[in-house]
Amino acid sequence: MATEEPRYYDVRHLAGTSTHIDIENGTIESAGQSFADTAIVRALGATGWGMVAIDNFSEAGKSGMMQAVADALALSKVTGERVELADVKTGVLPVPAIKEDPREVSLEEKTEILSSIESAARIPGIVNTRARYIESEGTVWFMNSSGNEYQYESLRSGYSILAVAGRGGEMQQARESEHAITGLNIRHKEEKGREAAERALLLLDAAPARGGTMNAVLDPELAGVFAHEAIGHASEGDLVKEGVSVIKGMIGQQIANSVVSIVDDPTLPEFGFMPVDAEGSAVKRTEIIKNGVLINYLHSRETLAAVGDGEAGHARAEGNSSPIVRMSNTFIENGDATMDEILEGCKTGILLKGSRGGQVDPGRGVFQFNAEYGYLIEDGEQRGMVRDVSLSGDILTTMHNIALCGTDRKMTPGYCGKGGQSVPVTDGAPHILLRNAVVGGRHA
Amino acid sequence: MHNVTDYSDLVETVLAKARHEADEAEVYLGVSDHISLELRRRQVGEAEKAVTWAMAIRTITDGHIGASMTMSPARWEDCLNAAIASGRIADPQAWGGLPEPVSFSRDIDVYDPSLIPDADTASDLITSLCKAAENGKAEIAGGGISLGRGSSLIANTNGVFYTHDATSASASLEMINGTSTGFEFDHVSHLSDLDTDKVAKEALFQADYWAGAGGIESCASDIVFAPTALSQLVGGILMPALSGRTVHAGRSFLADKKGVPCMDPSLVLYDDPYEGAGATRWDADGVATQRLDFIGEGTVQSFAYDLRTAYRYGETPTGSAVRSGAGGAPAIGVHCLKLDARHDDVREEKAILAKGLIGAHTANTITGDFSVELSNAACVEGGEYGAPIRSAMLSGNLFDMLADIAGAGEERREIGSMTLPEVRFKNLHIIGTQE
Repeated sequence: MATEEPRYYDVRHLAGTSTHIDIENGTIESAGQSFADTAIVRALGATGWGMVAIDNFSEAGKSGMMQAVADALALSKVTGERVELADVKTGVLPVPAIKEDPREVSLEEKTEILSSIESAARIPGIVNTRARYIESEGTVWFMNSSGNEYQYESLRSGYSILAVAGRGGEMQQARESEHAITGLNIRHKEEKGREAAERALLLLDAAPARGGTMNAVLDPELAGVFAHEAIGHASEGDLVKEGVSVIKGMIGQQIANSVVSIVDDPTLPEFGFMPVDAEGSAVKRTEIIKNGVLINYLHSRETLAAVGDGEAGHARAEGNSSPIVRMSNTFIENGDATMDEILEGCKTGILLKGSRGGQVDPGRGVFQFNAEYGYLIEDGEQRGMVRDVSLSGDILTTMHNIALCGTDRKMTPGYCGKGGQSVPVTDGAPHILLRNAVVGGRHA
Repeated sequence: MHNVTDYSDLVETVLAKARHEADEAEVYLGVSDHISLELRRRQVGEAEKAVTWAMAIRTITDGHIGASMTMSPARWEDCLNAAIASGRIADPQAWGGLPEPVSFSRDIDVYDPSLIPDADTASDLITSLCKAAENGKAEIAGGGISLGRGSSLIANTNGVFYTHDATSASASLEMINGTSTGFEFDHVSHLSDLDTDKVAKEALFQADYWAGAGGIESCASDIVFAPTALSQLVGGILMPALSGRTVHAGRSFLADKKGVPCMDPSLVLYDDPYEGAGATRWDADGVATQRLDFIGEGTVQSFAYDLRTAYRYGETPTGSAVRSGAGGAPAIGVHCLKLDARHDDVREEKAILAKGLIGAHTANTITGDFSVELSNAACVEGGEYGAPIRSAMLSGNLFDMLADIAGAGEERREIGSMTLPEVRFKNLHIIGTQE
């Protein structure tokens, strides 16, 4: 085939406004708005992708857009891999309704509301408080050479509050944050400021965790991060295609205890919601693991065609970056164990709560993540508080060691980084019991 | 290929308008052209060109500092109005004025006129990269080549009008042998310095050597941090603690340590903004950069200050502003950080060497406590690699470690804005998976 015309091309344009507020120790450090206008144009030549990322795309016009398509096509000639695209369903979901539109609340008022959260954290013993608000709104426009075109409004907002407690030269910190797609979420959140401050104070008296192999109970936030890091990334089709996923070639195999089912669902009205994916594919709930058996990978059109065994509709992109396979709202399904059964099943071990994030090497099959704090469990009872506690291990071994799943699934919003791109996600899980977990702490 | 000087008239227009609206104003403009090729196994799967344009405006009125940023030249008035509106909300602070223009006596070397970001050059480099990775068992999983040329400009209402040109070339390669992965990269300013051969051979070595990795028992051991591993802890824990903002805001472990013995006497940490890929003669405030000694003789000697933090707390600006703040505003950072300690043959005595860390960003940034999974770690002794380790967790406290350094290697490596040696730390706690 001659490469004068692309086999396929698409354009994704993002234009919008981001708002931020930063308040520290009662001082409004900064508050303002910035403007984005950027696009990515992709074209498939005889072999692979050529792409052009352009700022100030609004001024490019139709001729500028078609020039970008031609430039992308010309670039594709240096590629060697023949890329095929799977046929997929298209369609756009309605964006969930907004309760209170933050665009209709002045920056001054939002600053005042955030200030109330920050000041609520300034209680005796707290030496630093910092509250931040972030809001991004804009229009995403997509078209491709197959005749599909869509446009939707994107709106996300959220806040974080950090409190640092100090005493006799010792310092500890605690943080609360909430992000949403359903509108302004900072009103009447002063208790979150107080919670962060009170936990920071408690951490001053918490003992450093004792590391070793032990039974561990993970709270819903941390268990959600575990699902995301340990299995979510490994199920991403691009990693499977490149051979750097420890679960490549394992479809149909029992890779976890039968109590474990893990899902990625971009249709849920959570922080990782997508009305349509970044290459125009319709989104849908994808079961990754069902009753311990690996049944699907997450895919883009390209990785679905190359790998199979899964669902497209999971391509995402930050700004003008190229779409790659990503998670959206990822969670462990509820099981049937009560909290008492989980604590009793743990007997002696550790309860890990909150998350400071995690990381995975999906090729090696090794993950690590850190809890904000924890409690010792002795004879099935929750005991003293511990700090700086983490968990790491081998994905496949650990998935089999999930002994119990609770009934109290919660979803926690956040951001996930991959390939230099950060996208909004939600992780979720019920409380889970993990046997023989490798727990990190400074004391042996 | 576009350059910031193409927009000089626009910058003057913005400043002229801003003079009527604010006491002072500043425009920062950055443009760049990049080309990158991305490997999918052994073949190029993506070729991308990126053309960037961004302008940040800062205004100051009666100590109220406002900022905004735009990607569209046509929206400069929206951007200026947003900056002024931003300043009205921010609390006022002590302010001594934007800098006046100065002349620079030294040049920097971060621009290679021969480096053109074009697909053919990148394609030749990727061919070299793949060819050098052939002599082993591991297979290429991914990687790529990126070539870039950028220019930036800062101008203010006090007459500052500085420009800065820079080029960059980078190579990376990820290889896999079974479940053993190897990753290596290089990033330089001059094309002739890009060592694709070294990148490929190191990635190949890692993937093949660690294919035979086994467990390790929990133990206390000296740990040698490769620069790639050390940079993660230095960047995530140590540098924020040396920022003037965190120091004065009450969230730095080092706030009360200036002049107090708290570090290994041989440890030296400084920012030399004239030597390295991040070299620059002026910082993001338009302040002339200079060497800044952070740590020496066992104590903290200086903290880093941008203009606003220095004015607020009565300190001297240290030329440490970088463009990483919200709305394109300056924030405190480093340009070319250098770390050193007493030289020693760090791989001679028995130790565990870690090339990378998984989860370093989850550290407690205030206390310095961290707990990470070691990546591509191995026993070393007599200068030779011993048994490769598949999985081990390391817990420690970076500030405690820096107080008791066993030694630093001779060789230096530039990782982002840092240049680091291998550093050996004493008696750290490892949790193994072989009980």
